[in-house]
Amino acid sequence: MPDSGYPWPIETTRLDNGLRVVVSEDRTAPAVAVNLWYDVGSRHEPAGQTGFAHLFEHLMFEGSINVAKTEHMKLIQGSGGSLNATTNPDRTNYFETVPAEHLELALWLEADRMGGLVPALTQETLDNQRDVVKNERRQRYENVPYGDAWLRLLPLLYPPGHPYHHATIGSMADLNAADLATFQEFHTKYYAPNNAVLTVVGDASAAEVFALADKYFGAIPARADIPAAPDGRSVAATGRAAVETVTTDVPAPRVYVAHRTHPFGTPGNDVTTVLAAVLGSGRGSRLYQRLADGERIAQPDTVGAYGVDLAHAPAPLIVTATARPGVTAERLAAGVAEVVDELATVPVTHAELERAKALLSTAWWRQMSTVDGRADTLGRYATQFGDPAKAAERLPAWLGVTAEQIAETAAEVLGAADRVTLTYLPEETS
Amino acid sequence: MTLIATRPGAGAARPYRFPTVIRRDVAGGRVVAAHLPGQNLAVAVLLLDAGAGREPVGKEGLAGVLAKALEEGTAQRDATAFALAVEGLGTELVTGLDWDSFQVSVQVPVDRLSAAVELLAEAVRTPRLEPDDVRRVRDDEANALRMDWANPGPRADAVLRADLFGRDNRWGRPMHGDPESVGALDVEDVTVFHSEWFIRPGTLVVAGDLDRLDLDALGAAAFAGAGGGPVDRGGPIEVPPRAGRRIILVDRPGSVQSTLRLGHPSPHRAHPEHVPMTLAGTVLGGAFTSRLNHLIREVHGYTYGIRGDFASSRRFGRFAVASGVQTAVTAPALVAAVGEITRTRLTGVTEDELAVARSWRAGQLSVELQSPRAIASALTTLVVHDLPDDYHARLRESLLAADVAQVSAAAAAHLRPESLTLVVEGDAALIRDDLVAAGLGEVTDHTG
Repeated sequence: MPDSGYPWPIETTRLDNGLRVVVSEDRTAPAVAVNLWYDVGSRHEPAGQTGFAHLFEHLMFEGSINVAKTEHMKLIQGSGGSLNATTNPDRTNYFETVPAEHLELALWLEADRMGGLVPALTQETLDNQRDVVKNERRQRYENVPYGDAWLRLLPLLYPPGHPYHHATIGSMADLNAADLATFQEFHTKYYAPNNAVLTVVGDASAAEVFALADKYFGAIPARADIPAAPDGRSVAATGRAAVETVTTDVPAPRVYVAHRTHPFGTPGNDVTTVLAAVLGSGRGSRLYQRLADGERIAQPDTVGAYGVDLAHAPAPLIVTATARPGVTAERLAAGVAEVVDELATVPVTHAELERAKALLSTAWWRQMSTVDGRADTLGRYATQFGDPAKAAERLPAWLGVTAEQIAETAAEVLGAADRVTLTYLPEETS
Repeated sequence: MTLIATRPGAGAARPYRFPTVIRRDVAGGRVVAAHLPGQNLAVAVLLLDAGAGREPVGKEGLAGVLAKALEEGTAQRDATAFALAVEGLGTELVTGLDWDSFQVSVQVPVDRLSAAVELLAEAVRTPRLEPDDVRRVRDDEANALRMDWANPGPRADAVLRADLFGRDNRWGRPMHGDPESVGALDVEDVTVFHSEWFIRPGTLVVAGDLDRLDLDALGAAAFAGAGGGPVDRGGPIEVPPRAGRRIILVDRPGSVQSTLRLGHPSPHRAHPEHVPMTLAGTVLGGAFTSRLNHLIREVHGYTYGIRGDFASSRRFGRFAVASGVQTAVTAPALVAAVGEITRTRLTGVTEDELAVARSWRAGQLSVELQSPRAIASALTTLVVHDLPDDYHARLRESLLAADVAQVSAAAAAHLRPESLTLVVEGDAALIRDDLVAAGLGEVTDHTG
């Protein structure tokens, strides 16, 4: 078992305005990854403003006080870099990987939109990006079979008022209602140096990065009273399984089984991660062996189980399978439920456990094989657990999980009374 | 003022060094490797000359069915035992197919690569291919394609490809086949394809810490029991452009977006203007900052994104644009896209745009020097296209040296807006009249 999942140096500092800076030097390739985690996500959105954190992410690419509209992308791509940003319930991250000589440019751009976005924000930009986001919703969720599964699972898993109740993409009605002042206020509230972590990994030294961070970010004022998201740590069990069936234009019956487990970063979540790999990763997994190969009721490429890595409430475990021709949704759902139930009753063998851990090890090192993968990981641990060095503990924690812990966790969180079952049925065709 | 207004310039450029390429003949095959010192993960790819271009017309999807059937048991162990052995090492067999090659790869911590390559070879060289298993895999693959074809995109892609290259040719049909072609395959098709193409040694690509790997042993494992020499791969195919632009409408009732696929044939991979063409494609549609994305997304808000590029294989190529736009703006989005393609052909690119495109493409080569998977992929390019060891370094130089005149000339020569086929997959009842009124070309309905 490796002692560490992060065998590279990590150096940290905190600027006077509260910005945490994390640096991990690695001179292997002439590239550097810059990553900012802002501790704001869709969990902070009040009713009527769903989708705002994500729409805001789009606005961050549309210019700031010293950066003209469209210039951000042009400058990063024009220096050979890749860039993107993502928003999820927990947080918003912004990242670029550039040839190392352009590190300073990347930091300047990030500082300018952290400290100088509001004066550049216009109604025209908001209207345009609102249309783009509505098209993103159509493309990803509305125009593809089963595309809205995640939108349907969340409200079944988390009650109204819970920070994970609504999906990050938001509703069309709320997006339509978004006004400029709300977004100006959103930036003022959350995009502060003391609500962010700046991580740089790759061909740069800590001393160099700390000096540049201070030069570009150092004068951005901290904000007091950044509002916290509602606390979602405890979700009252209803004692009743939630069931939803959707009849729509899909090519075959599909079943999703979901449970609330443990927040990412906790020992219970580590157990769930290994459990999910035993259950649903690869051809040797229980779901594949039982439903795709054994009984042959599920299409082989469609079985899977994965834990969602959310840290601020019991995180979901999603299990899914799609019926082979001639198999009913009922039979498939019963098959999936049986395999999930057996995690508590049929002990996981040594071979199953080792297989799952080997797959997880490779997945971990794959994430670590690029500077951007490492930067995002360090930013996460600094933001969510207060210390980037804790990243090193994750892989050893997975590798330490035992078969007994999997059975215990399964009995604790995968009970039929806490189960969400979402079924898609094809429309009758004449 | 709390922010620094002046944009910083670039620091000292780091030298670009592609890892040293090692080519070695081992046990009747060829090993091509790159040394990544200190890297914990290693990747091995077995490259076979068994791409989609090798499938007979009417048998599209054959290589994909064989790929899945490889894991249904080998001479030494059944399917479950094989899965446990491979996944117990922490990897899965990842198969890939393009027009020119078939690839099977493993990615594992470096000390497990030798065991993983042995299993990879066991599956590729000695699969059981029991008739019942092959038939079941074929049915599962046909189903998987049916699921995929329920999404917007695959139908439009197939219609565009057929219109560009003709259904009589293998390259005029979908690379991965369609539900019908796969459903019609029989066991013998699969076993014959295997004996024809999967026994030849091929090339083993390795990216990892070579101080901890034995290339001779890896090659010996990959090529054990292999035989047969290379087969002629055929020359470039000339595809004449169509006379006149046309729209083909593929009905998808209830669709909230229209899926757009615009294209025409373009030169093959070894064409001397490959680099300026690539850059012209980048300015037009290859990057977020491209003309198409700027106009259709950032100015009009018609889409979440639009991309266009020249893509090429050894024998042929195509220019294509892909997007999904809101149903109500289908016609104006098409007009705007065709307008940008036309403008780029007629007036070329500007120095400002080209500066972004060339340094982006060149810089990406540096950024991609990191993971074993990316390095293996770069080595694969060398092998498939018969390129020299210093190809990436030279490519970087030619990207940086390309000037406005060259790139504009490539745009003028290789963009053919008047010969475009515009495939629109969407709610035909809602968009047909607008498409006719747009006057971009004759509108025909796709049948079948």
